[in-house]
Amino acid sequence: MFWNIYSKRVLCGLREKESMFWTWIFPLLLSTMFFFTFTSLDTVGQLRAFPLGVVDDAAYHRDAAFRSALESVSGEDGLFELTAFGDAADADAALVKGEIEGYILAGEPPALIVTGDDINQTIAKGFLDRYLQTRNSVALILASNPGAVNDLPALLQWADYTKEISLAQNPPSNRISYFYALLAMVCLYGGFQGLITVVYLQANLSPLGARRTVAPLGNWGAAVCDLLGGLTVHLTGVIVVVAYIVFVLGTDFGSKLWLVLLTCLAGSLLGVAFGAMIAAMSKFKEQVKIAILITFCMVCSFLSGLMVQGVNYIVAEHAAMISWLNPAARIADSFYCLYYYDTYDRYLLNLGIILAMTVVFFTAASLFLRRQRYESI
Amino acid sequence: MIQVSNLVKRYGDLIALDHFNLEVKKGEIFGLLGPNGSGKTTAINCMLSLLKYSKGSVSLFGEPMTPEHYRNKRRIGVVMQNVAVFNELTVVENIDYFCGLYVPDKKRRRALLDEAIEFTGLGEFRKFLPKKLSGGLLRRLNIACGIAHKPELIFLDEPTVAVDPQSRNHILEGIRELNRGGATIVYTSHYMEEVEQLCSRIMIMDKGKSVAIGTKEDLKAMIRAGEKLTVEVYGLSGAALDEIKAIDGLVQTEYDGHTLTARCASEIHRLGAVLDVLTRRQIAFGSVFSEPPTLNDVFLEITGKDLKD
Ligand SMILES: Nc1ncnc2c1ncn2[C@@H]1O[C@H](COP(=O)(O)OP(=O)(O)OP(=O)(O)O)[C@@H](O)[C@H]1O
Ligand SMILES: [Mg+2]
Repeated sequence: MFWNIYSKRVLCGLREKESMFWTWIFPLLLSTMFFFTFTSLDTVGQLRAFPLGVVDDAAYHRDAAFRSALESVSGEDGLFELTAFGDAADADAALVKGEIEGYILAGEPPALIVTGDDINQTIAKGFLDRYLQTRNSVALILASNPGAVNDLPALLQWADYTKEISLAQNPPSNRISYFYALLAMVCLYGGFQGLITVVYLQANLSPLGARRTVAPLGNWGAAVCDLLGGLTVHLTGVIVVVAYIVFVLGTDFGSKLWLVLLTCLAGSLLGVAFGAMIAAMSKFKEQVKIAILITFCMVCSFLSGLMVQGVNYIVAEHAAMISWLNPAARIADSFYCLYYYDTYDRYLLNLGIILAMTVVFFTAASLFLRRQRYESI
Repeated sequence: MIQVSNLVKRYGDLIALDHFNLEVKKGEIFGLLGPNGSGKTTAINCMLSLLKYSKGSVSLFGEPMTPEHYRNKRRIGVVMQNVAVFNELTVVENIDYFCGLYVPDKKRRRALLDEAIEFTGLGEFRKFLPKKLSGGLLRRLNIACGIAHKPELIFLDEPTVAVDPQSRNHILEGIRELNRGGATIVYTSHYMEEVEQLCSRIMIMDKGKSVAIGTKEDLKAMIRAGEKLTVEVYGLSGAALDEIKAIDGLVQTEYDGHTLTARCASEIHRLGAVLDVLTRRQIAFGSVFSEPPTLNDVFLEITGKDLKD
């Protein structure tokens, strides 16, 4: 009996087009879109150390300040992989062959020779401009206030400059948080399964519900089987999306993949409970309820930073309560905790909130479901 | 088998069932006949404990019916007025699902499933999804889902609405067969011909009340009107019409210039007498009809309304 209900529910779920779209197709498309957006951003990110030439001539040797500035931003973690050339002709040859992206000719002022104007060349030019600007400021300060020489190191923060540039390249933290928000959204779409389950269970919500209500089914046994079936369908979708993001798109979710999946399970339960509550609470048409559900998911996802990067931080800062009560934000934050923190305090707190909300939603739904004779059908 | 007494059901201010009483015995095909909105569906839903009611009692199989009376529920089959099947499941899967709510045993279920498919003539469509089925076939699927588990008591709420005549005959024949197999049947419809053909006892409902109950013969005997005579005749003189009107046993005689219609009193036949007058007066007449009274006549006489539409 229970297997009959469960298995048919799974079949139905897998054949149901609308929820399939929202839980499978839509997230797959969205994650693919993210992926391509980030890949193009990543080519920008790779400029972190690109080959730049410098003509190692007398002028370069003389200008010790420039030399040290240039060297301080070069190397593994810097901006440039610096190659020295004997004269300008050698550097030109290397530039033509594409071995370097450009080269610097020391002098007064130092010059940058490049062939194109893509982002790497812009960075090199930015460096040069900034150097000249700083040098002029320093000269000016020293001319008016020789005592300021002690503050000079602060003015020459090249290391900071490098860091700032590399931060602008969408560090993994920002980029992955899109995927976290996306996955949180997918979890919440479990609401479809909860909603459909309840609509098909209730005699006053659908003819199917009426037909099942006249059958000799205990209220709860059938409901639980149905919900489990719906949850199974939903989790299948979630796992497909996670697998796609991790294995096909190659996004790093950290080493705690099992906990990521556990979080997905908790998040999905929350989604299912929410959908069940929406369906049980009102007598709107099914389509209206679905619209409410989608809107809710979208708003939560927006506030958790799915569409616009950083919204989650803004909300957390200015309306902490909303952030704490936003299921999408809690789910996304759980993933974030798993990735970045070694301790589990915050993760467990998130998980606790998610489960508490689940219980609240299910309880609310079941209060509405408890009546067995209906005022009208 | 069914005992309903003094049932009152309100939807807000509207009284959908007004002290409704009903008794159905084992082995009957009981017809609930009434125009749209007369409360047939409401009555069934109350009997099934789907709806709350403000007053009265319902007992099925001799026991008060409640939503938790699973033993009773197991013996009942319901075919709702609205088609209720899963759109994502095929014909076979749907029947198997609903049958499975009553019959846990898989082997037995398979046999029942085949029987139900045979019974509704859906053999060619086993793997079809409901949206690929025509209206008539969908209704048949709806019926199959309701009766596959071989219930002892079957409620059919307008199972033939919007069904082509061929499917309808198939369905009616099926219902008779279920009845021969021992099932008691409650059948609602607003098609009087159907009810007349099928049911052993009939209740006519209007505005949530039973207005008449009995076999179709009882019902027809209940009213003054009997046989209806129609004669095509031209140039009937006033004197001839008066003579016809004077025939004892004719309750209502009218002439519109080309058709003479006359209604006999219940159980009385006066076609011969009418034709006698015409022949004697040498008035030529065309086609002649004599129709027994219909349930519509019964309804018309009791409520002053037409049952149709
Ligand atoms: N859910 C409801 N809310 C309010 N009024 C209702 C509701 N359901 C039915 N009614 C009203 O109750 C009355 C009886 O309706 P019911 O559906 O029982 O009639 P019916 O005899 O089955 O009609 P039909 O032949 O159209 O199926 C009608 O006047 C209808 O408008
Ligand atoms: Mg009805």
